[in-house]
Amino acid sequence: MMISFILNGQEVASAAKANERLLDILRTEFTRTGVKCGCKEGECGACSVILDGKLVNSCMVAMGYVEGSTVMTIEGYRETERFAALDRAYASVSAVQCGFCIPGMILASECILAKNPKPTEAEIRAGISGNLCRCTGYNAIVKAIGLAAKEGEGLW
Amino acid sequence: MVNSYRPTSLQEALNILAKEAVTPYSGGTDLMINPDVNATYLFLAKVPEMNQIVADTEHIRIGAACTFTDIIENELVPSILKEAALQIAAPAIRNLGTVGGNICNGSPKGDSALILFAIDAKLRLVSSRGERVLPITAFYLGRKKTALQADELLVEILMDRKGLNNYYYKKVGARDALAISRVSFAAILNVTDRKILNCITAFGAVSDVIIRRAEIDAMLIGKTIEEAKAAKEEYFAAYDQKIVPIKGRISAEYRKAVCMNLLRDFLKSNGI
Repeated sequence: MMISFILNGQEVASAAKANERLLDILRTEFTRTGVKCGCKEGECGACSVILDGKLVNSCMVAMGYVEGSTVMTIEGYRETERFAALDRAYASVSAVQCGFCIPGMILASECILAKNPKPTEAEIRAGISGNLCRCTGYNAIVKAIGLAAKEGEGLW
Repeated sequence: MVNSYRPTSLQEALNILAKEAVTPYSGGTDLMINPDVNATYLFLAKVPEMNQIVADTEHIRIGAACTFTDIIENELVPSILKEAALQIAAPAIRNLGTVGGNICNGSPKGDSALILFAIDAKLRLVSSRGERVLPITAFYLGRKKTALQADELLVEILMDRKGLNNYYYKKVGARDALAISRVSFAAILNVTDRKILNCITAFGAVSDVIIRRAEIDAMLIGKTIEEAKAAKEEYFAAYDQKIVPIKGRISAEYRKAVCMNLLRDFLKSNGI
């Protein structure tokens, strides 16, 4: 039985087993390698995707759970104006170093701003608290999200 | 080969559970850490009763497959449970992880299970044979062992609507986000007509099962604040005997000291 869902705006069907991880299927079957595999236990957030409007760790989602849902990865999100605003903000404060956490971090940023277009610093930090970054020490990322909120006013 | 089911009604879910060995899957955040490649999952996200939060005259009824985000965002849910839910893991896990999974996992470290102990919540367990309502205190039989039968589902959690405002809650972990409790403590104290009407305390992450000692808490019930002050050392001594922490990554001595400090702070915060 095929598992159907919407991936980055397109209807897709996967022959994966219902108990396989969404993370693995996104990376192998759909070659969406912007979804990074860090820990496979929900600790690092590198595999974050937006599932039905909510940030989730794709390593903790079984394919059977995805049937009928909408999944957005960084490959889909980068086509949006909101991404462009975040991209500019991250770049302008040098919030990216090695980049491994960034796809997850950007999707977490989107979920923060979608819920609250004018977040406080504490709200930003809480919003990315499930996304680990080993390079930046977080301050630049927090600053970038605040900046995107300001510069991209009206987008969220 | 069928390797999953996605029932859209409770009856359908129970019928499957009655005739086949399936693994109930609500949020998946525990299951997917070590996914069993041979498991047949019974996905519960489309079972209406398990995914809603409603109130009747006596209870707030929380569907077992409600996520922590559902709980945080719902107006009916009392603050004591919201506060604990907000400290669970991180947003992405709160968006998937469910209260029913936190309970049925059987761990004494379940942060929402602790709150449900402290408010004497009841669990509605249903199978195709019928249903029963069990106090959460009777649900845990030992480390990772619960009273849930193989053909049963935890469908709803029932919380009293009243008496939950004056609570105390502390989670002690190694960091703010994504922390497994080292010690967690929740308590309720209600005073009416200058007398202690009820006092409930619960200690999580300390022993194989969440510690709830109604007979010790009874030492303070019916007393005035002044009388409770006079009796408190005896109360602490009783707990000091009964709390026997297990040794894990954290020493038993540390856990014990934190438990006793939290208990003292709880009474102190109530003027006792």
